[in-house]
Amino acid sequence: MHPLRIVLAQLAPRLGMLDENLARHMEALASARAGGADLVVFPELGLTGYQLQDLAAEVAMRVDDPRLAGLAAATVGLSAIVSFVEEASDHRLFISAALLEDGAVRFVHRKLFLPTYGLFDERRFFAAGDRLRTVDSRLGPRLGIAVCEDFWHLAVPETLALDGAQILINVSSSPGRDLAAMHEVGLGTAASWRNLMRTYAQLTTSFVVFCNRVGVDETISFWGGSEVIAPSGETIFTAPLFDEGLHFVDIELGDVRRERISLPLLRDERPELHLRELRRILAERTEMAIDAASDPPDDRPQPGASEPS
Amino acid sequence: MAAGAGHEPVDGGGESAERLFELPPELAIDTDVALRVIVGFIRNQLRQAGFSRGLLGLSGGIDSALVAFLVADAIGPENLLCVLMPYRTSSSESVEHGRLVVGRLGCPSDAVDISPIVDGYFGRDGEEGAGGAAATEATPLRRGNFMARARMCVLYDRSVEWGGLVVGTGNKTESLIGYTTLFGDSACAFNPIGDLYKSQVRQVAAAVGVPEEIIRKAPSADLWPGQTDEAEAGFHYPELDRLLFWMIDKRRSDEELLAMGFLEAQIERVKRLVAVSEFKRQVPPVAKLGPRTTGVDYLYPRRRPGSARR
Repeated sequence: MHPLRIVLAQLAPRLGMLDENLARHMEALASARAGGADLVVFPELGLTGYQLQDLAAEVAMRVDDPRLAGLAAATVGLSAIVSFVEEASDHRLFISAALLEDGAVRFVHRKLFLPTYGLFDERRFFAAGDRLRTVDSRLGPRLGIAVCEDFWHLAVPETLALDGAQILINVSSSPGRDLAAMHEVGLGTAASWRNLMRTYAQLTTSFVVFCNRVGVDETISFWGGSEVIAPSGETIFTAPLFDEGLHFVDIELGDVRRERISLPLLRDERPELHLRELRRILAERTEMAIDAASDPPDDRPQPGASEPS
Repeated sequence: MAAGAGHEPVDGGGESAERLFELPPELAIDTDVALRVIVGFIRNQLRQAGFSRGLLGLSGGIDSALVAFLVADAIGPENLLCVLMPYRTSSSESVEHGRLVVGRLGCPSDAVDISPIVDGYFGRDGEEGAGGAAATEATPLRRGNFMARARMCVLYDRSVEWGGLVVGTGNKTESLIGYTTLFGDSACAFNPIGDLYKSQVRQVAAAVGVPEEIIRKAPSADLWPGQTDEAEAGFHYPELDRLLFWMIDKRRSDEELLAMGFLEAQIERVKRLVAVSEFKRQVPPVAKLGPRTTGVDYLYPRRRPGSARR
């Protein structure tokens, strides 16, 4: 079995300059193709830049936009994940990541979780996606695609793995911050991300591919450090911090099988248990009456019942 | 301010036997990462604005010395203009230290004596200036603010013929406590060190090779002879930095700060300084009248496409 060749396009998009970024994506695709790439991963909002504010509407594209089709046309015999501002037919704006394959836009994931706290203000400008699906790919294994903050919610990698993904792909525009001497790489953000991705790879026994941008938008510097993690949780590749670059990483898809045979965590997952408890939690949260008939008998002490002294 | 339990200042300056500066451990940063971010920030700010040159006011103190080193590193010393702008009562050491930085970097420099500007307004030796008789009795605060704004005027004027952007040199500590002159020393196109506390400025300054005598000397606005920040405002920078760090960056409550060993009077004083200077850190508010108002619901990146001057 040939290894799968992934290219991490750790680019510094130009803020609001769609045509220029499209051209750079085309160049990167050409270089990746020349280097024998199977899958090229670009960062979150790589086609537009991140700190768009009111520019978001001005750089938005419909999924059938000819410019996106032009980019897709460059993926014959190749897979690529690109990210842009998507305008829906009802004119909502999404932060989207599209899988382009064999010349077509095959799948679009709309960012589910829009951070609107601290230095983030995404919910002001964007709508949140409401669909989390894996996608079959010409590459063989099913892919799970997520955007940045999506991976700060446990349910996302978990759901993608349960839905059959063997490669979890996160495209990001993660701003570097929390500079301190005590962190692994002198940057709190990078240390946190690395912990998360190793953990997800291990717990889902899947490959995790992380492509984070570099460059500066306004006050924010993006830290790069794109990575590929094996299903064992071991890091296969880490890109340099802050530098632009195309990084070629070969992975052995057989590693997923080996890991899942020896460590059958996914086999042992209990989604039905999870779902049952989630239903209960949701009902309690919304103070709706629990449908007693659908609940298993519960013999725990009820609140107010006498406790053994 | 008392040192918190378990707080052991580490010696800045690495292996040198003599301590160069005091660095509270929680404020220690990875200077390599900081330099990557700052140098990239400077290059991007200039490129996105369509400029390849910068200029700054070099006071002889550590903040402007550090920024000069950072800008020279980012765009080359030949693209940095350092402007020395002493007043007649400025300490001679300030000018010497300014020249030391210029000599070390090999960058172009310019000296502008702001005395005629300042004296022209406040008067001198009993002679009235443009400000009239009352201005001859102006307090040091008024005179200091005027000097800071005179320097701003000179820098922005020089920026036109130099064809560069004015680079800010204010640090996070002075910004948070409001120890700056609005539209004076805080005026700039962008600021590479505005998120570094004074203690961190010292750490980065040591890392990039700012001369030791500049790192070591007592910080001063040098607005009147013998003035030092710490004597004027009654604080010790490493302790003030720690308090601000825990209060603001780490969101500790008063009770938690007290439990860490900070004194109630200091907490109250610093909180008041921060609150009272909020106006200095923000763009002035505009009365909301129309459908789209700048800064309210007209929100564009400062460096949007088409914003570059050339």
